[in-house]
Amino acid sequence: MDNLNIPASHNTPQVVYDPDSATFSMVGTSIPENAGAFYGPVVQWLQAHARDLPDDCTFIFSLPYFNSSSLKAIYTVLLEVKKAIDMGRNFTVNWHVEDQDDFMTEAGETYQDMLGMTINLTPGSPMM
Amino acid sequence: MNMEHMDIPDELERNLLEYKGRISTEVRMQLLDLIKCIALLNLGPRSDLKQLIGIALELLDNAQRHSARNDVDFRWHIMNDQLVVTISNIAKREDAHRLMEAVDAIDRMSPMQITEAFRQQLAQGGFSEKGGAGLGILHIARKVGRNIVADVEAIEPDEFRCTSTVSTDLGKSRKTA
Repeated sequence: MDNLNIPASHNTPQVVYDPDSATFSMVGTSIPENAGAFYGPVVQWLQAHARDLPDDCTFIFSLPYFNSSSLKAIYTVLLEVKKAIDMGRNFTVNWHVEDQDDFMTEAGETYQDMLGMTINLTPGSPMM
Repeated sequence: MNMEHMDIPDELERNLLEYKGRISTEVRMQLLDLIKCIALLNLGPRSDLKQLIGIALELLDNAQRHSARNDVDFRWHIMNDQLVVTISNIAKREDAHRLMEAVDAIDRMSPMQITEAFRQQLAQGGFSEKGGAGLGILHIARKVGRNIVADVEAIEPDEFRCTSTVSTDLGKSRKTA
C-alpha cells in the first residue's frame, strides 16, 4: 500500500494514514485556493486503498477552519469512505467539533445527513 | 452647527478592519488570522463566531480567485447591530456576470431553497479551472439569507468593478439546516 503522508502547510491540513494504529487523519486549517487540486491525491489514495484498510480503521477529521471549496472536496473524501462502508467495511468516522461551534457542527451534520452515514460529532481536538 | 454631534457614536459604527491592496494566499491567511483575533475581541465568544468569520473568508476567497488585477478593497465593520462585510475587486466580464447571477438567484430563494441549492451544488457540482466549487455565495446565504447585495460597474470594455456587501444581524444567532 502506498503511504499517505501530506504535511500541513499554512493553509492546508495534515493528511496521514497511520497503518500501525489504522487511523486516517485530516487535521488543520483548510483554505487552499484550489481545494480540488489539494484533495485530488487524497481521493485517489482512498479509491485505490479504502477496500484494503483494516475493518477497525478510524477516520479522524479535525478542521477548525475551512472554505467552501474545501467543504466540497471533503465531501468527495467522505464519499469514498462511504463507498467502502457500503461494501461492508466497519469504519468509524469522527468529526471533531470545538465547544459550541455552529460552523463545525453544521458541517458535520450536513455531511451525515447528505451521505446517510454515521459521523460521530466528537467534542474537542483529537489526541494525536 | 456642533460638529461633535454629527459623529457617529462608537456604539453605532465600529470599523473593525479595512484593507485595500494586493491579494494573495499569504495576505488572505494573514487577514484571516487578524479577523479571528478582532472578532473574538469585539464580538466575544459566540457559537456562530466562525460562521461570521467565514463570511469574510468566502468573500476574500472569491475576490482572490476572480480578481483580474489581484487587488481588493475589503471592509469589515459593525453598523448598529449588523456585521457588514464589503469587498470590491476588478473582475473579467464572465466573473462579474456570474456574481450577479448568483446573487440574483439567491434573492429569489426562500431559506429552504437556499439550503437545497447549497446541498445540490455540494453533491453534484465540480471544481472550476480556478478551483472554485460554486458554493461561496450559497454558503454565505445559508447564514445571512438574502442579505447579500452585489453591484457591478464597467471600468474597461472587459473589466468590471464588482462590489459585494453582506450584512448579518448580530443580535441573534441563526441556525441553518
